[in-house]
Amino acid sequence: MLQCIFLLSDSGEVILEKQLTGHRVDRSICNWFWDHTNSQPNSYKVVIIIIIITFSLSSIIIFDFSVLCLQQQPVIASPTHYLFQVCREGITFLACTQVEMPPLMAIEFLCRVADVINGYLGGLNEDSIKDNFVIVYELLDEMIDNGFPLTTEPNILQEMIAPPNIVSKVLSVVTGNSSNVSDTLPGSTASCVPWRTADPKYANNEVYVDLVEQMDATINRDGVLVKCEINGEVQVNSHITGLPDLTLSFANPSILDDVRFHPCVRFRPWESNQILSFVPPDGQFKLMNYRVRKLKSTPIYVKPQLTSDGGICRLNVMVGMRNDPGKTVDSVNVQFQLPPCILSADLTSTHGTVNILSNKTCTWSIGRIPKDKAPSMSGTLVLETGLERLHVFPTFQVDFRIMGVALSGLQIDKLDLKTVPYRFYKGFRALTRAGEFEVRS
Amino acid sequence: MAPPPPQSNRSPSPSQPSGKSEVSDLKLQLRQLAGSRAPGTDDSKRDLFKKVISNMTIGIDVSSLFGEMVMCSATSDIVLKKMCYLYVGNYAKVNPDLALLTINFLQRDCKDQDPMIRGLALRSLCSLRVANLVEYLVGPLGSGLKDNNSYVRTVAVIGVLKLYHISATTCIDADFPETLKHLMLNDQDTQVVANCLSALQEIWTLESTTSEEAARERENLHSKPYVYYFLNRIKEFSEWAQCLVMELVAKYIPSDNSEIFDIMNLLEDRLQHANGAVVLATTKVFLHLTLSMADVHQQVYERIKAPLLTQVSSGSPEQSYAILSHLHLLVMRAPYIFSSDYKHFYCQYNEPSYVKKLKLEMLTAVANESNTYEIVTELCEYAANVDIPIARESIRAVGKIALQQYDVNAIVDRLLQFLEMEKDYVTSEALVLVKDLLRKYPQWSQDCIAVVGNISSNNVQEPKAKAALIWMLGEYSQDMHDAPYVLESLVENWDEEHSAEVRLHLLTAVMKCFFKRPPETQKALGAALAAGLADFHQDVHDRALFYYRLLQYNVSVAESVVNPPKQAVSVFADTQSSEVKDRIFDEFNSLSVVYQKPSYMFTDKEHRGTLEFSDELGNLSINAETGDSVVPAQRVEENDKDLLLSTTEKDDVRDPGSNGSAYNAPSYNGSVPSATSQPLADLAFSSTGATGQAPAPGLAIDDLLGLDFSVGTATTPSPPPLTLNPKAVLDPGTFQQKWRQLPISLSEEYSLSPLGIASLVTPNALLRHMQSHSIQCIASGGQSPNFKFFFFAQKAEEASIYLVECIINTSSAKSQIKIKADDQSSSQAFSTLFQSALSKFGLP
Repeated sequence: MLQCIFLLSDSGEVILEKQLTGHRVDRSICNWFWDHTNSQPNSYKVVIIIIIITFSLSSIIIFDFSVLCLQQQPVIASPTHYLFQVCREGITFLACTQVEMPPLMAIEFLCRVADVINGYLGGLNEDSIKDNFVIVYELLDEMIDNGFPLTTEPNILQEMIAPPNIVSKVLSVVTGNSSNVSDTLPGSTASCVPWRTADPKYANNEVYVDLVEQMDATINRDGVLVKCEINGEVQVNSHITGLPDLTLSFANPSILDDVRFHPCVRFRPWESNQILSFVPPDGQFKLMNYRVRKLKSTPIYVKPQLTSDGGICRLNVMVGMRNDPGKTVDSVNVQFQLPPCILSADLTSTHGTVNILSNKTCTWSIGRIPKDKAPSMSGTLVLETGLERLHVFPTFQVDFRIMGVALSGLQIDKLDLKTVPYRFYKGFRALTRAGEFEVRS
Repeated sequence: MAPPPPQSNRSPSPSQPSGKSEVSDLKLQLRQLAGSRAPGTDDSKRDLFKKVISNMTIGIDVSSLFGEMVMCSATSDIVLKKMCYLYVGNYAKVNPDLALLTINFLQRDCKDQDPMIRGLALRSLCSLRVANLVEYLVGPLGSGLKDNNSYVRTVAVIGVLKLYHISATTCIDADFPETLKHLMLNDQDTQVVANCLSALQEIWTLESTTSEEAARERENLHSKPYVYYFLNRIKEFSEWAQCLVMELVAKYIPSDNSEIFDIMNLLEDRLQHANGAVVLATTKVFLHLTLSMADVHQQVYERIKAPLLTQVSSGSPEQSYAILSHLHLLVMRAPYIFSSDYKHFYCQYNEPSYVKKLKLEMLTAVANESNTYEIVTELCEYAANVDIPIARESIRAVGKIALQQYDVNAIVDRLLQFLEMEKDYVTSEALVLVKDLLRKYPQWSQDCIAVVGNISSNNVQEPKAKAALIWMLGEYSQDMHDAPYVLESLVENWDEEHSAEVRLHLLTAVMKCFFKRPPETQKALGAALAAGLADFHQDVHDRALFYYRLLQYNVSVAESVVNPPKQAVSVFADTQSSEVKDRIFDEFNSLSVVYQKPSYMFTDKEHRGTLEFSDELGNLSINAETGDSVVPAQRVEENDKDLLLSTTEKDDVRDPGSNGSAYNAPSYNGSVPSATSQPLADLAFSSTGATGQAPAPGLAIDDLLGLDFSVGTATTPSPPPLTLNPKAVLDPGTFQQKWRQLPISLSEEYSLSPLGIASLVTPNALLRHMQSHSIQCIASGGQSPNFKFFFFAQKAEEASIYLVECIINTSSAKSQIKIKADDQSSSQAFSTLFQSALSKFGLP
């Protein structure tokens, strides 16, 4: 049960405040939160949106969280309230409570608020929120009442409150009607398909399905692939007139270890035949998430070698393709943190550029891996005086992107449209990115 | 086109007001616009309103504009209206008189043609929260609840709740709860239904303290017809409302197993929902429904495993943290189920350390014969981590795994490798672990001592590690060639040793070494005792004095006190008692899980709402933990004074827990006097009644048990002769369930005899006494002056069970008793029986 919403800027200034229930939350909670955040090690300064939830009580509860708060946690306790916070693109959403409530509900809701505001304003930053705070107020008003979440479906909200896009600005100048609120209530608030706009009309009917996969992998000191997993998403962008009923099937659904669906997906057809049957929301949405475990190999290899002797450490990193996936691997990037005991580093690469930032983060941007020769980076690290050998070893975080391939091997079989007699255009794409891809040395 | 308002030239962005002088500026401009009907007025107004609200947002007090804002509010522009509502809602509370001005236009808007405006106006009207305006609320709310547009009805339902918080009597008098109930059961729109549910839950919960009917209604919500009604419509509800319904279902107690399976079948697809909150709420329902069916419960774990793991890896960091906390709880309860998924708990380099910490604990828990090797290999990689606290944690994790496994060969090697890593914090942690390992597996002493002997005590700085090293020097001085000399040099540097813990250990170690190798240690012992006697720290001084006198008295006795033969420790005291864990499990999908403590430890008593029972049991367990949970094997060590090592360590590990109990204590004390408001006369009567009535059955039981209790000789037989089953059995789970289900049938307060108080030093004393009266204890705890017990008893030859919660305050010599019974009619008889048993406590 949320009680109040604040938006703070990166200097701790309140951008926006929205009280939700009769129990008023004082602004001083923001100061407390800000001080608390800054007093934590490793905390990052960000634009902060705080949502405060409090309950009808005012007792003071004091905690010692010194053990738990190593870094800022999503759920923290202040002397008077419990705060939930969510950080998006440098903006932190924060909520607070004084009684028990499902913590995930608060966090999940904050995520939705962030997503919706992000969608409306085309990006989250202090200026856009300040310029459009009336819209943010209106949105919050519809999304939550008396602390209980109501509608969070972007489709529905957009019908109630028009987004401040260029089209509507132009329109308002032309027509002279500058209200961004639609005159009527969305019909679908009463319809049986609550996520869909009532009756959209398109000249060109089209559906795009994207498979977007992220590969998480951990390779340990001995070069062994400790863990390799793919988290994928099926993203759909649908523009179809009327109330379409789509079915999507995969050629090899058995490889999926676990799935979760957008509320629009019917469960029974999936359970019996692994077919996704759904009435899509209008526009872009996430149809499903899936997870594929136990992959045997990674598309590229990264082999770091460190040898240290007499206060000098020699570093050599090789990167190359392992099993050619048939498509080009690009945006390859290797990043690592130099241990604090290193005084200076001199690194050069045969391909791409090496950058060392003042916070000892070293980035090696490779880009596309050349076909003929595996790129390598080598050089020396000078250790602190008195230190013979390196005891702390860096972890290399690797980034890459492969267009046109879903590395899990998942393949879309077909997409059919029922109930609506239109011809429509179908498009499929696939993309694999590195997620948490790390190589230890 | 509208003429641009002149002020916009001065400040380019309306959201960046220049200062406070602007407020009076705004006031003037608003006043000018108030009466104007010129075209374009709305646009100028909109700019002005925007400025006012941005001022309000930044924290500048713009309440002085209230009158002007209200005057400007006559408009048909919906954005203007919304901004005006926002403003009014914010300041009405501080300007109750002016708020009256807004009633008029809000009431008019409540009758607007556009349902959107009706809804907004109604919402704003209810958000004014001015007590003397409630009379204006009833009418619009009543028609709002009957509105033919569902949007207006959803707003009106929440409006009722808002009204209730402003003035409960007005809300009840208007019979709104009854209307809401009707709406809840009949409305087409599920959002209306969901809002009704949440509003009614809140209203009835608050009302139930005063009204029987509200309490009954609230209970009814958990009854079959209601739960089925909601379940049948579950797919129509919005995801948030689904969470609400799941909470309700989790409290429902199905009558038989087929019902449980029906519910689970219906809800199974909710586990695949994209919203993590729904998944977790479903998980809670599943876990709670199957508590009584061990095998199905097991299957539920298997079923929920995959969805939860998916949520962890695909959600944002914040979501994964919340899920991980819950997963942590489940892993701790059933580690074997997750043992094949150990790779999910491997830490990623850039995860925040609180996540890593959770994962390390889970890795420790799931380690078994088949995966230990991989897990320990992984943990050893973290030991070289840049993040020092995590490196420490992972070494500790290795140690914990070593302590819980039988096959420790490989792990001991790893630990000893840590000692050779030459990083001071790694060495420190490893030393502490080797010490614990040796206490459990003395057979490894040869290998460990060889490595430990190579460590120079000068390189070890941390008190805990130093203490561990010194303990090993003392304990294994016969095997470590230079132990006496190392100790001697440590004694020489006595003054430089700042930690009292280390000095205490040094004293003991020198003593032990003396008994093993007297000629070499005698000098060091003398120096240590002298230094100890001169020490400013009380404990060190006392221990030195104690040793000194002990040696003076008899050296062989001293040896048997300080250095007796030891048994290996079989189990180290757990940091968190299982009762606390169960309690947290009962509060699944709540903050308790994230904080890893039951709600009673962090929410205060009066606002705990529906979880009345959940607070009670945990209270005890924490106290019990500090009391008597030390394992017998450890007792042996107590003689050795080495308990100090283990207790200090226990405290450290248990940090969050002990904080909680430290906090809890005052609130608990506070609650006792407040509850003793029962009239004293009543008390006196009941205590005399007790001695007069109950002894007869009490004696019967004594005879039954063959115990020789020469107690009270009263003869009046109690009217309904109640005998208890001396061998009643009840498992904690059933106890909890019953406690939750049954109403309190009796709540009384007794005085205790001074003798009883005197004998109540530990909870155990009373337990044994009550057991002799066929009243069994299921949980107990506390420290002087407050003790708390949960008892149960069973009627002889009948299944009827009595449950008792008993709080004893020894300083006021009062006990408060709450009795719940299967058979309500006999609870009075049981109460007298209980009372008599209690009154006999402490009598010879």
